[in-house]
Amino acid sequence: MMFSSLVQRAVRLLILLLGVNALLFVALGLAGDPALMLAGEDPTPELLESIRAQYGLDLPAWRRYLVQLGSMAQLDFGVSIYTGQPALAMALEQLPGTLLMAVLSMGLTLITAIPAGVWIGQRPEAASRRFGAALTAVAQGIPGFVMALVLIQVFVVRLGWLPSLGYSQPAAWILPSISLGFFLAPKLCRVVSAGVAEAMQEDYIRTARANGASMRFILWREALPAALPAAVALIGTQFAFLVSGVVLIETLFLWPGIGLLLLHSAQNLDFPVLQAICFVVAVLVFAVNSLADALLRLLDPRLKPAIR
Amino acid sequence: MIGAQSRLPATLKASPQLAVGAAALLGWVLLLALSGLLQTHDPQLGDLAKRFSPAGTAGHLLGTDNLGRDLWSRVLSGLPWSVGVATVSCTLALLLGGTLGMLAAQFRGWPRTAVNQLVDATLSFPGLVAAIIIVTVAGRGFWPLSITLGLLSWPVFARVVYAESLRLLAQDYITAARVMAVSTPRILAGHLLPGLRPVLAVVFTFHFADMLVAESALSFLGLGAPLGVPTWGALLQESRDFLIVAPWLMVVPATAIALLVVSIYLLGDGLSALDRTER
Repeated sequence: MMFSSLVQRAVRLLILLLGVNALLFVALGLAGDPALMLAGEDPTPELLESIRAQYGLDLPAWRRYLVQLGSMAQLDFGVSIYTGQPALAMALEQLPGTLLMAVLSMGLTLITAIPAGVWIGQRPEAASRRFGAALTAVAQGIPGFVMALVLIQVFVVRLGWLPSLGYSQPAAWILPSISLGFFLAPKLCRVVSAGVAEAMQEDYIRTARANGASMRFILWREALPAALPAAVALIGTQFAFLVSGVVLIETLFLWPGIGLLLLHSAQNLDFPVLQAICFVVAVLVFAVNSLADALLRLLDPRLKPAIR
Repeated sequence: MIGAQSRLPATLKASPQLAVGAAALLGWVLLLALSGLLQTHDPQLGDLAKRFSPAGTAGHLLGTDNLGRDLWSRVLSGLPWSVGVATVSCTLALLLGGTLGMLAAQFRGWPRTAVNQLVDATLSFPGLVAAIIIVTVAGRGFWPLSITLGLLSWPVFARVVYAESLRLLAQDYITAARVMAVSTPRILAGHLLPGLRPVLAVVFTFHFADMLVAESALSFLGLGAPLGVPTWGALLQESRDFLIVAPWLMVVPATAIALLVVSIYLLGDGLSALDRTER
């Protein structure tokens, strides 16, 4: 069962990659003649001819598409129109920066949103918890990149406590991770609190309370595990959204990562690199989704395959 | 949804978010409708003598920018464009996603598989990445942006409509209609669609807010609104050059976006609470 769901995901990934590839191919056709862009100013007809022959642009569209598919199947995305380097290598080079930010902000999200969610979910009707819930509702509405601008204004411009650019020093990691955390933390907090609140009404928890189990034990060992599957499912489905956030936050902080490369490549109409970025991003989301799926089956016994 | 008039007070009491959200939204609709009248200055015309006037300056309530243009008027004049993009893209997503979701629920076999695979594949790709690439090629502007956002986000509707349609199609009133040999198109349009309305209202509300954020994000990246249209994302982009000398240029549009999105989210929260209690 687990294996077949992985196969299903892989099929979906393949559909997605084919779709993205076709889309980019059409977009490239609409974007204008790449040979003109490559040739620079005042190209001679001979130069254009030789460029077309070199990049296979003189072939009919359907053949170019098939050639492209064939080389992509061998993970060859061609070279960047701009730098001349292999496109996939350029995308992979940026991956560590993006992963660093993703891991940092995910860690931050988990250590803030889960305790906050448990706290609100323990007694959702209490005034302080209602206030907390209202706060998360408001936080959910504030776009992450807007929050990032506010944080920069306060901690970089006004207080001068933190650097705002690059990632050479760990102090520069703080603001980007907090900003990116804003994309997911409020949602996660709400899901956890809803799950914990629901679990607190269950008979087994009432029994445990009646038997004198400590509140801490009940919350962390009984109620939270009941809320975790929903939280893991949320992280899985929202990961693609989080990558969208990465693009914005990287641009804001000039953080060398996939998002910054994406924006530059889009501006330069560097289609081989765009292809490679889409491939890396799709595989990354695929990996995280599959991981979340596996974790979900581990956490929720109802999803485990029946023993045959 | 809000049905009979007499239920309204009880409804608002049961869901305070709905009351607050609806009231706030009413304010926004008024601002939008009167946007032209409320502008005290020409949003494009600057007075260089008054450049970088801070918020609170007489005659310039929210201050002026680097060219001495009135920020209050600029914030107001950007609103219709953003709301227009959100409306068009949301409606497109609703029509596409709603239709495909209903069809996938009604017709087992390949239509269902095809729609579900397409939905899952699209949702597993970061929308902003796709939007950046498409908009770079298609160009800035109202229609390219609206259509791109709509085409990229219909799966949000399709998924919810599919799940809810499956639930409704199994109910007795639909079975009764089938037994009475009502045609499938009439069942979908006349019997299923009315039942989907509460769910659609909730998803539309949240999605509208998400589209506003997406538009402002793309405009912020310089890929949304064309030059000269002061949407809030574009204003935020401009403000980045003056973070030190003129922080209000960032604070005002940032607050505006946050307030608008939070009001719509509150309304959505209220609507979904209402939908749950009426079930």
